[in-house]
Amino acid sequence: MPDQENLEQMIHQLYNRHYLEVYRFLICFSGNQNDAEDLTQEVFMRVLNNSSTIPSLINVKTWIFSIAKHVAVDHYRKKRFSSLFTDGFFKQFRSLEKEPNEIVEQNELKKLVHTAISRLKPHYRAVVILRGINEFSIKETSFILQCSESKVKVDYHRAIKELRKKLDMKSVEVIENANG
Amino acid sequence: MQTDKDIFNLIKETYPQEPREEFVESTSNKLKQRARKLNRKKKIKRFPIVSASIAICTLALSWFFFYGETNLFTSYLTSLGREEKPQSIVNHQDPLVFIYHSHNTESFFSEAKTDDSNQAFHEDRNISLVGERLRQSLLNKGVNSILDKTDIMGILEEKGLPFSQSYTISRDPLNAALEKNQSIKMVFDIHRDSAKRIDTTVTLNGKDYPRTAFVVSQSSDFFEENLEFAELLHSKIEEKYPTLSRGVLIKADTSKQNTYNQDLIEQSVLIEIGGVGNTLEEEYRTVDILAEVIEDILRNEPY
Repeated sequence: MPDQENLEQMIHQLYNRHYLEVYRFLICFSGNQNDAEDLTQEVFMRVLNNSSTIPSLINVKTWIFSIAKHVAVDHYRKKRFSSLFTDGFFKQFRSLEKEPNEIVEQNELKKLVHTAISRLKPHYRAVVILRGINEFSIKETSFILQCSESKVKVDYHRAIKELRKKLDMKSVEVIENANG
Repeated sequence: MQTDKDIFNLIKETYPQEPREEFVESTSNKLKQRARKLNRKKKIKRFPIVSASIAICTLALSWFFFYGETNLFTSYLTSLGREEKPQSIVNHQDPLVFIYHSHNTESFFSEAKTDDSNQAFHEDRNISLVGERLRQSLLNKGVNSILDKTDIMGILEEKGLPFSQSYTISRDPLNAALEKNQSIKMVFDIHRDSAKRIDTTVTLNGKDYPRTAFVVSQSSDFFEENLEFAELLHSKIEEKYPTLSRGVLIKADTSKQNTYNQDLIEQSVLIEIGGVGNTLEEEYRTVDILAEVIEDILRNEPY
């Protein structure tokens, strides 16, 4: 166990290198900054507690993300029954310093995106975020999600299709509402 | 409508892409603290396993010696035993104990040639000799320690700071040592009391011993752990030498100023060994007992 002495140094390094990416994954997954921060902390606590099982330094990023995915899904399960439209997500826009009109427009769009993403099933959500936001390769994504590369490809396309459909449909609705 | 990239950009714009700075910092600190704790636990966990395996080895060895089994097997076992040479916590090369003196010039009537407790300070003949004795005494028992000899009072004077700032000055060397030596498990800030001799001395088996008092600060983040450690030391002394220890004093410092640096490590305590009216020779007697107790705790307590 050569790393025991440097545990503190090691976690410091891992955290500094990866916290931003992990946070970005989690904010897109959970849609709420407070949750994303709490979950980020949880991820690195788990990294620390399982530091003896770190595979190799090459794979460490995907390993951390596989933990992040578990943390995110666990969180989703806990929260499933509470509404996705709790004030948490929308409250965070109120303090933005912009013209009221702009806020409304921007918030409409953000609401739309948020709704679309949060309606995706967790596995699809994870695939889309890992590939699109964190820019992992198909191979890396398949490692993180513990599934085959072809499943990653198929799920990614289905998820994007669904997302696009939801965004298109919703934007039509918004326009119609505006006209009416 | 959009390309995939547009969608991703939309998602990125929807959510704040940076966590708050306070969060980043506080998490980093939490992780470090946790890492330190884990480090200690792991080392301690290893200890009983190692000692058990040594015990089994010696048993097996002596068995084969006494009952004269084949030489081949014996020598094989001998070499095995040598390979698994104990990594016992005691007899460890790395320092396990850190000793320092926030009031490093505190001295005794007999050394400072005075009978005024406000004058009982000395540049060389002072409490640091008591710390040195503790270091020696621990070393004789196979416990390595670090004695910090920073001249705290000198620094205070140089910087024109008040006496009350001595713990702030002594914090730096302590902090540096803890960072450099993860092996340190116990920290002692050794003082002598300014109380009268009659209150700080007890006679056991016809000899005078300076009494010990353990002081913990309620404003330390590790208050509970510090207290537990101080009580353990007190009870161990009480067990072997009743009345020698005056007990544990809790400083409920509402101003949140003096943690006595006990917030840096769990097993940290300020010890008063005797008082201004005791002599160095007496001090050494109690220090030797303290060393016994420290070694005993390091060896036995799965804290």
